[in-house]
Amino acid sequence: MTLWSRMHSWVRTILQRSRVESEMDTELRFHMEARAEDLIRSGVPCVVALRRARLEFGGVESAKEECREASGASFIENLLQDIRFGSRILRKSPGFTAVAVLTLAVGIGASAAVFSLVNAILLKPLPYPDSNRIVLPELVSPPGVSLGSEYFPWGQSQFRMLTRDAHPFQTVAAFQNDSFNLTGSGEPVFLDGFRASAEFFPSLGISPALGRAFAADEDQPGHEYEVIISDRLWRERFGADRNILGRAVELNGYAYTVVGVMPEGFAFPRAEEMPSSFNFPAEPQLWVPLAIPAEPKPGPSELALIGRLKPGVTIAQAQAAMDLITKHAEAQDHRWIGWFNTRVVPLQRQVVGDTRHPLQLMLGAVCIVLLIACSNVANLLLTRSLARRREFTLRAALGAGRARLIRQLLTESLLIALAAGAAGILIANAGIYFVKMLGPANLPRLREVTLDLPVLAFALGVSLVTGVLFGLAPAIGAARENLVDSLREGSQRSGGGRMTPRLRNALLVSQVALALVLVVSAGLLTRTFFRLLGADGGFNAERVLTFQLPLPALKYAEQNQIVTLFQNMLERLRAIPGVQSAGIGETVPMSGEGESTVIRIPDHPAASLKETPFANFTVISPGFFAAVGTPLLRGRDFQETDTTDAMPVAIVNKAMERKYWPNEGALGKQVGPGSTRFPLLTIVGIVPDVKHTSLREESAPEMYVLYNQKPWPSMLNMHVALRTKADPAGITEGVRDAVHGIDPDLPLAKVATLTTLVDDSMAQPRFSVFLLGSFGILALLLASIGMYGVISYSVLQRTQEIGIRIALGAQRRMVFGMVLGQGARLTGLGIAIGIVAALGVTRVMASFLYGVRPTDPLTFAAVSLLLLGIVLLACYLPARRAMRVDPMVALKYE
Amino acid sequence: MAKPIDLLQGTLDMLILKAVSLGPLHGYGVLLRIQQISKDRLEIQQGSLYPALYRLEHQGWIASEWGESENKRKAKYYRLTAAGKRRFQAETEKWNRMADMIAGILNTTPEEV
Repeated sequence: MTLWSRMHSWVRTILQRSRVESEMDTELRFHMEARAEDLIRSGVPCVVALRRARLEFGGVESAKEECREASGASFIENLLQDIRFGSRILRKSPGFTAVAVLTLAVGIGASAAVFSLVNAILLKPLPYPDSNRIVLPELVSPPGVSLGSEYFPWGQSQFRMLTRDAHPFQTVAAFQNDSFNLTGSGEPVFLDGFRASAEFFPSLGISPALGRAFAADEDQPGHEYEVIISDRLWRERFGADRNILGRAVELNGYAYTVVGVMPEGFAFPRAEEMPSSFNFPAEPQLWVPLAIPAEPKPGPSELALIGRLKPGVTIAQAQAAMDLITKHAEAQDHRWIGWFNTRVVPLQRQVVGDTRHPLQLMLGAVCIVLLIACSNVANLLLTRSLARRREFTLRAALGAGRARLIRQLLTESLLIALAAGAAGILIANAGIYFVKMLGPANLPRLREVTLDLPVLAFALGVSLVTGVLFGLAPAIGAARENLVDSLREGSQRSGGGRMTPRLRNALLVSQVALALVLVVSAGLLTRTFFRLLGADGGFNAERVLTFQLPLPALKYAEQNQIVTLFQNMLERLRAIPGVQSAGIGETVPMSGEGESTVIRIPDHPAASLKETPFANFTVISPGFFAAVGTPLLRGRDFQETDTTDAMPVAIVNKAMERKYWPNEGALGKQVGPGSTRFPLLTIVGIVPDVKHTSLREESAPEMYVLYNQKPWPSMLNMHVALRTKADPAGITEGVRDAVHGIDPDLPLAKVATLTTLVDDSMAQPRFSVFLLGSFGILALLLASIGMYGVISYSVLQRTQEIGIRIALGAQRRMVFGMVLGQGARLTGLGIAIGIVAALGVTRVMASFLYGVRPTDPLTFAAVSLLLLGIVLLACYLPARRAMRVDPMVALKYE
Repeated sequence: MAKPIDLLQGTLDMLILKAVSLGPLHGYGVLLRIQQISKDRLEIQQGSLYPALYRLEHQGWIASEWGESENKRKAKYYRLTAAGKRRFQAETEKWNRMADMIAGILNTTPEEV
């Protein structure tokens, strides 16, 4: 009852304020008029009756105020009043308000944009039902064996063992990437896709939007001619035809029946979501059954696995179950020992992968920007609250309590913060747009980044917290004011007691220090970036055109067919005007990791498993090194005389020579594939290490063999590289014609210049540099605005003092130096503190750097000087103003 | 006529509750009723009457509604609520106990100590 009446009166106060007010008026007027009538009745003259009634009543306004307070209106009333008053004050000084709101909006906007990235990539669950139960069982290298990659693919028999014994999984599926040449309906097109076992879609928990997933009996050899296509392929190639189900399409020469169309946006697995060593396509377009036989024959290991844990099974339990399977396998067959080590990785963690650290770096950087913005606005408010001292004193003298004053100031800060938050959301929106446009393609889940509810909530939260944070300092400063002192100082402009300048200077110093930390980090990343640009990748990217040449397995079933094709093709390509050299290779630089395999070196027979030699095994043609611009260090290049019947030869990279023949040199030594079924090759040349994924990669041993000397790996998916005399883009048509002149059904995939591939590999570092660099510039800008504000205010405050100094004969240049010196002292202190802090911070950054140490003295010195220069520039204007102070005017001021 | 006594702190609320317990009254009526009951021996600050009324209404002891006064004017009438009635009884008892006790203390003679 009482609670209800209280709520009722609050609601009335808020919603029906004007009605309550007018009722109060009516009630009090009635009282006084009734009293006046009574007075008239008792003989008081008409003319004075009402006046007397009013006098008897006492202060009407204070009674009303008490009534409002009594009915619970006062809290809300005061708040509304504070807001009204605050916004009036802010409107009255639009310059101050604009600077404060903009400064903060930049901070809030930048942090909300970064948070939107963090939210989409790290926090949001994957777009699969119960995605926390989806795991990737990964096969890891035996301890001590370096394959260039931590993971290696599963074999078919291993997968069969898992499906028989794997109890932690509700479903577990295998998949491997494949390329498909879609022919028959229009222009032949080359598509990336996957062969996946029947449990693949159930493991993800996603069913086709149209049609059905694979049935178990379709996942059998001989029955696998069914295909599920992506929404994009369905729209682009088949005009979103809903009658597509049951239609036959021709893939690699076989007829497949379309059984399903996946929902929009589904493209699992994308390259950036999986370990890079798998070399998966960027965006798969179709899936066909994998069809592993029940009793798989030994063959190459090419599978990746995905599983859905049973409800309630933890990662640790799954890992324990997998370890048991490992033990079982090792007990059954000693050849498995060391080769069945598994790791169960949650899909979410795999997808996030290596982006966690760069994102944390960005989050840290943006926090610094936000802090600087906050302390900037705090300083502005502090400075302003000094100017408003007389107002506060007056209000305190009129009876405003200390709490009420603090509340008023906090309300103003929060108003600024909320306005900044609103503007910040606009900035964040623009930021998100840029990030999506400029973000590297291999940043996982980038397409999911939006300005959604969590991001808006984050922006609001940040606004409120910062509002309190930067509002508190001036508010407390104002409340500490001693009323009597203030009144006594009253007209003087000197001011602020002893507390506030110290607080202001501390804020300024911390701003400079924070800016230094941020700019040093950005500087180190920038140097890393340029080091990478200048890094030797073992090739020369200029004027090189590359493309992939996937061959239909049916048509080119025999190796000698492929060799003839390549011979003809090289001949034709070299004949194109403008082509300087042409070569074919299993990989071209920066197109992805090579395949690491076991090799055999008769000189050094492996004593134990750990010493088993490995190398990337790369098939090339003569002319390949000339085409990609890899110089020969020693020995000779492959030649046309190295025919099928000639002595089998190989060329190795420096890393391989260093690893296996560190002292004697590799030239003339023998090496071969792991299996003794293949003949040994003689090493005839040494080339530099060619980088495959990024310019910062650690090079692995690599050996090159000739395509026409019966190489061991398949040659169905080779790359072609052409070095041109002029712009490579100009010859694309000629190349297409040359290839189609030999076989009109051959698709040319991923046509790109080598420069583009290098560029793409730089996307992530470039993005980091871009973001951190922008934050650094923001930090510099904010810090210099802060310095400008504080120094100009102090000059304004000291006008009188400066005037006296000049009147007493101080040189104007000295005055100028004095002001500049004040700024320089604060900056120097900030830089000193910042350097110490930066030394700690950059140590954490070591993994982001390449070719530059975290303590790089050049960067530290350059950034310190830059900061000092910019801050002194910000002091220059106020210092000049101080120098020009007219003593007459300054003294008359009072 | 005796000099009017100033109101004891906190007693105005009780007097208002008493006044409206006899029937709905408007604010001025409350004033007149209290003066009438006290035979003009109590001095009530007219300005402090309304905050007390608002407070009692906010607490739910009394309720208000608009009505017509004796001279056909719009006036706000207050009446005691059920909760107010209970409250008034409790307050009255408390007051009587208190008054008895204080009277007892004040009437103590030296012999009784």
